[in-house]
Amino acid sequence: MFDLRCATLLVLAGALSLTTALADSPSVTAVLSNSEAAVGETVRLQIRVTGSGAKPPEQIKVDGLEIQRTGTEQHYEMLNFSVSQSVTYNYTVLPIRPGKFKIPPQTVQMGSNTFRTQELTLTVSDSAGGSTRSNPSAAQQSTVDPKKVGFIELVVPKREAYVGEIIPVVVKLCLNARVRFQQIEPPEIKAQGLTMQKLEKGSRDMETINGATYDVTTFKTAIAAARTGKFEIPGLESKALALLPQRDSSNRNTPRRRSPFDMFNIDPFNDPLFGDLRMVEPQRITLQSEPATLEVKPLPPNAPANFSGAVGNFTLTTEANPKSVQVGDPITVKSTIAGRGNFDRVTAPGLEDDRGWHKYPPSSKFQKDDDVGISGTKTFEMVLSPNEKKQAVPPLTFAYFDPAKEQYVTLRSEAIPVKVEGNALPSAATSTTAATAAASAQSSPAAPGSSTPATRKPQDILYQVTDFGRPQSFTPLYARPIFWMTQLIPFLALLGFAAWKIRQARIDNRDAQRTAALQHEAADLMRKLRRDDSSPQEYFSQASRAIQVKTALARKVDPNAVDEEVAAKTFTLGETERAQLRRLFARNDELRYSGAKNGSGSISRQDRHEVLELIENLRA
Amino acid sequence: MNRLIANLSCRRRRLGDAKRAPFKRFPSRFAKRSIYGAIIGAFLVSSAFAQSDAHFAKANQEYAAGQFKEAIEDYESLVRGGQWSANLFYDLGNAYFRAGDFGRAILNYERALALEPRHPEADANLRIARDEARALELATTRPERSLQQLVSLNQYAIAASIAFWVGIFAITGLIFARRRSFGSTALSILSLSIFAFATATIVWIDNGNKGRALAIVTDKGVEARVATADNANSVLALPPGSEIKILSKRGDWIYAALPNNLRGWISAKSAEPIRL
Repeated sequence: MFDLRCATLLVLAGALSLTTALADSPSVTAVLSNSEAAVGETVRLQIRVTGSGAKPPEQIKVDGLEIQRTGTEQHYEMLNFSVSQSVTYNYTVLPIRPGKFKIPPQTVQMGSNTFRTQELTLTVSDSAGGSTRSNPSAAQQSTVDPKKVGFIELVVPKREAYVGEIIPVVVKLCLNARVRFQQIEPPEIKAQGLTMQKLEKGSRDMETINGATYDVTTFKTAIAAARTGKFEIPGLESKALALLPQRDSSNRNTPRRRSPFDMFNIDPFNDPLFGDLRMVEPQRITLQSEPATLEVKPLPPNAPANFSGAVGNFTLTTEANPKSVQVGDPITVKSTIAGRGNFDRVTAPGLEDDRGWHKYPPSSKFQKDDDVGISGTKTFEMVLSPNEKKQAVPPLTFAYFDPAKEQYVTLRSEAIPVKVEGNALPSAATSTTAATAAASAQSSPAAPGSSTPATRKPQDILYQVTDFGRPQSFTPLYARPIFWMTQLIPFLALLGFAAWKIRQARIDNRDAQRTAALQHEAADLMRKLRRDDSSPQEYFSQASRAIQVKTALARKVDPNAVDEEVAAKTFTLGETERAQLRRLFARNDELRYSGAKNGSGSISRQDRHEVLELIENLRA
Repeated sequence: MNRLIANLSCRRRRLGDAKRAPFKRFPSRFAKRSIYGAIIGAFLVSSAFAQSDAHFAKANQEYAAGQFKEAIEDYESLVRGGQWSANLFYDLGNAYFRAGDFGRAILNYERALALEPRHPEADANLRIARDEARALELATTRPERSLQQLVSLNQYAIAASIAFWVGIFAITGLIFARRRSFGSTALSILSLSIFAFATATIVWIDNGNKGRALAIVTDKGVEARVATADNANSVLALPPGSEIKILSKRGDWIYAALPNNLRGWISAKSAEPIRL
């Protein structure tokens, strides 16, 4: 069973390979998609090779034509069990100049065989219009709806506005997402009588409009009219190079085969933008928007005196620093105008009552909150100098026209409490010299309603001094070398003082050591005296030495210089103790100088007790 | 015998000459040169002072005659010569005031007061010049103002020095004393506190708004700007005579602290420092 199946398969495979081999009789053909073209209009050249292992020509050179290889297609066909294989080599032919060009036969190497294509002729006309034939590319251009390729949308939110009113404008450049674009020029608004800001490129999104997907780039700007009347904003234009797919020329005039999607009218392949996706054709297209109109009305009459042309909606906040000053000292008043409108016409708020104040030209700073600067915050810093005692900085006022309310609005800040001390400056109201007035005038013109500075006679200065005085230096004392050299004197004195103190300490230390030694000796002697093991000679010697040491400690003298009289005086002893002391010293002398033979060989307990009691009671 | 006496007297004379010789040579080399040097130096100094006095008197005469420009030139030549005194700057300030240059008048009054803080004439005229120029002043805090008015920087330096050494001596005494007395401890603490206070005050005043970086706007129509460009946004218009504190320099521009706690760039040519 198995063998039978295997044999059948082998026979089938052999038959298939035989039919394939038979069908693969090699052949080479070359064809141009069009025999006529205009300069710059591409034509497709195809070299079709039936069979395998072919080597197509890499470069085809014809003077006046630019031929580039663009790709390769492989085809397999099976007909009545006969399989055929073919390879198509695609080339793009771009005519550079008009004329009749001959593409010579091309050699294709296939294994050991060499095949040659036939010669092809291409007639190139000067331009598409000049061509005697009906230009298929031009026909295709006309078949592509530019609105499907892309369009521009101009969004003007208002049709009516006031002079100076800022109107935000949005421009949307919508480009079909299925088309590739090159060299896109941004749209440009050209309108007479309107001032507009630079078109700022905003966001980029994908949007579905009428069933098609568009790459939408949003541009923002703002326009304002400088005069009244009806303005027309012409349609915006943008030029781009679209790389549109090229449809097969052979099918161009014949209807496409019906597709199952056709009945629902949603067949994407019926879209002219879907052609032969292998070939693209660059086309310069112009995208346009619809025009828009704007009716500009004049501002109402009776504008406030301090109205500077600001149109919009604003708020005003003020602050002043410092809050406590002397007459003549500067106070910085910071006023902030925030909101939406034409900030280029927003000027510094003025003082409601500037009497008694000297004003300096304000500085300004604008911080925009959006891309085009319609909304934001403008900050003014104005320096005021009080000429007299004041309780508060007067309110500041700012006038603008509100187009929503269609009326003028005057913003008025609260008076800012400040404390101004000191005496009023002489002729304070007009205390501005010509020079200062000129400097102020250079910076900014005087605010409307402010008092005109008048010249006055300068105050007179004090007399000239005829004495030159002593020469002086700006160098501070601590930065002069003499100052630091002077510091050497106390430094040396300190060293001397320290040396003297150290010497004193050492001397004191020697005394302390001596006292400690004496105390130690006294304690040692008392310990020996309390024992019964010493001879009378030793005992009395130690006892008299103990008295000498104790006296020396009390009087801070040398113990060897102490005798019984000195000791008695030091401890202010009574007669009995004096006598005992004398006896003790006499006994000691006797035993020392006469030897141990005199007297008994031991000391009675009574004697020891008396001696010990005497020594222990010696207290200064 | 006579020969012997003659020999002895001759030897004695020679010995005397030998003993006297070094003392004789010393004044001839050292002292003489020193004396000559001192005399020449004194002469040069006195002649320089005499010259500057003459120059000063001439400038004063020009001022009295109403020739303010000539007086300014003479005063300025003295300033350039490094002969500085509070009176010189005061007189120069007066000359500038009369010539209508309030910025430089204020600058020179300030210089006079920097040299001699208690110069009543300079102080009075400075107030008048400031009123005339509407010059802006750098704000100072009340304690800073009080400390500046109390004594001068040099006096603070002397006080700091004395207090330091008294404190150090007291501490040394305490270190070596057997018993630490309350008086010595209190004296050392008090002295070192005075030293710390005086030093801190010197540093504070010297680095403060009225310290060594203080400068005066001398040109007219000067505006402080946010950047080092003539067309940069203006921060503050500075009338001549306004005070600024130089924070840094970049090329021809000064970054300065301005009145009203502002900061900005001004042209270096528009302002001059008070301390030379």
